[in-house]
Amino acid sequence: MNTLIFTSLLGFFCMVAEILNLRKLIGPVLVLGLALIFGLNQQDWNMNQTFYGMLQVDNFSVAFGSLAIFITLLVFILSSEYYADQEHHISDYMTILCFVLVGALMMFSFSNLTMLFLGIETLSIALYIMAGSKRFDKRSNEAGFKYFLMGAFASGFLLFGIALVFGSTGSFDIQKIAEYPILNSQNISPLYYTGIVLIIFAMLFKVSAAPFHFWAPDVYEGAPVLITAYMSTLVKVAAFAAFYKLVSAVFVYSTPHFEFVLNIAAILTLAVGNLMALSQTNFKRLLAYSGISHAGYLMLIILSSKSQPVAALLYYLLGYSVSTIAAFAVAMPVFKAANSENIDAFNGLGTKKPVLAAALSIAMLGLAGIPPFMGFFGKYFIFTEALQNGFFITTIVAIVGSMIGIYYYFKVILAMYGQPANEVKVETTFNYNLVLWVCLAISLALGLYPAPIVNLF
Amino acid sequence: MSSQILFFILASLTIVSALFVVFSKSPIYSVMWMIFCFFTIAGHYVMLNAQFLAIVHVIVYAGAIMVLLLFTVMLLNLNKESEPHKSPLPKFAAIITGGLLMLVLLAAMHSSTLPEYSSPAFSDVGYVQKVGTKIFTEFLLPFEMTSVLFIAAMIGSVVLAKKDKN
Repeated sequence: MNTLIFTSLLGFFCMVAEILNLRKLIGPVLVLGLALIFGLNQQDWNMNQTFYGMLQVDNFSVAFGSLAIFITLLVFILSSEYYADQEHHISDYMTILCFVLVGALMMFSFSNLTMLFLGIETLSIALYIMAGSKRFDKRSNEAGFKYFLMGAFASGFLLFGIALVFGSTGSFDIQKIAEYPILNSQNISPLYYTGIVLIIFAMLFKVSAAPFHFWAPDVYEGAPVLITAYMSTLVKVAAFAAFYKLVSAVFVYSTPHFEFVLNIAAILTLAVGNLMALSQTNFKRLLAYSGISHAGYLMLIILSSKSQPVAALLYYLLGYSVSTIAAFAVAMPVFKAANSENIDAFNGLGTKKPVLAAALSIAMLGLAGIPPFMGFFGKYFIFTEALQNGFFITTIVAIVGSMIGIYYYFKVILAMYGQPANEVKVETTFNYNLVLWVCLAISLALGLYPAPIVNLF
Repeated sequence: MSSQILFFILASLTIVSALFVVFSKSPIYSVMWMIFCFFTIAGHYVMLNAQFLAIVHVIVYAGAIMVLLLFTVMLLNLNKESEPHKSPLPKFAAIITGGLLMLVLLAAMHSSTLPEYSSPAFSDVGYVQKVGTKIFTEFLLPFEMTSVLFIAAMIGSVVLAKKDKN
């Protein structure tokens, strides 16, 4: 609750700073404020409070809230560099990015479906704008508009589903909805199941799982690089945490109906994400399809939510996020120098900037799931959870998928070391390097010693 | 009994006007039929004792949103000639998926035991006062958080529409 309020206030500060001519303060205040909020968030650990029957602050929300705040902090550090030449926009952009975090925090701690809906909408509407924020770039316009139309459609499904669930259970409260099939096990309304399936469709859209993934590559490609980095990490974290909470707390008692749907979606997502990524030449599209395939692995956690694999979910999402942000922290200066977002922009980076190339290689290896980085153990935890819950076929598809994955992640590494260098001079700055090394340090440290996260729950 | 007849008249008007929205050739006619559709839905709200909701629905949707839609349609200049040729494949896909969803919903309606329709006795449950009390007690937090959502949307419109200084 405090986290939510202070994050909103931080957003309002950014908005007012423009009027008060405090534009120079925005960067430092944001970083400092988010660091404080990160600390404040830890105060709620083991507190288990409920506010107005709407917000439930427990260890789950604190852990994922911390992850989201951390990601936002990294993105803010990157943004002061990325938006250095667009000073007059920085206040608006930072405000909206703060509100994205507010939406995400609501999605972690909702205990009422109205809060879930509001959280998803706050997160999405802010991101529709940011995806289209490069106004004079056709690609960016297309991304914003496409994301908006598709997202609005998915929100319609979500609302319709919530309405049907409300109609059959008579409550928005997730506890009462969870009790409904137990108390009325003799005559569960078919409208309840229909509502659940519609809500699941909307959530599958938000996590960009197949067959609702079509927006992801176009939007990731068109949006400004920084926003792509933010979308591919924070949205995935928020949507998967909310999806997990919804399934494990609410729908777990109506298992046979939705398990089948989710299983099919997981297999499809794994196949589509990994196979489509093979033929991509644009780096952002490649990471978009890689994000879809990671959504496929995470679907395994949603499927096995009966055994409460919160730690595995948190670990995997953290590993995915740090690797992705590290990859973008290398890609941003390279793209800017090369004025291209294709994989060939990295050609010969191994000879020009060996340190940067090594860092990107580590990020790619982390995404591919090669030990000793976090990606490997994340996948390991997920596969064991899924096998324990009896999803053999889906796990086999996931293992084959991650082997395919190694091929397209190595495409980037091969471009850096195998191709002749181009003339372009790449310059990185302190902020990019800071974020890069923090991410890689986490990926390596928690990959070698995963206990701090695994023992949290 | 009379309210039941009224319901059927309103419901059929809603469906017919909604169909006209989809099938009208000219987008302007579509928008006009949409206004009509919204008014009939407001009628449903009144019959369900949701007076405040009915008024808000007319003001916001039939008033504000419609003006916005009309402006957009006129600005877009949607002539037959300017539209690119579309393949019929997406249409088929849309019909199949939409039809399937309707089938699922109809089947769910059919096999669930819905209470018989009876016109609710007149009550003040939908008055502004009652709605306001609900919003400021039980739903206070969502109400407050909506402000964040709206501010994000407002800043967004400024970001997307503001004239660039450069």
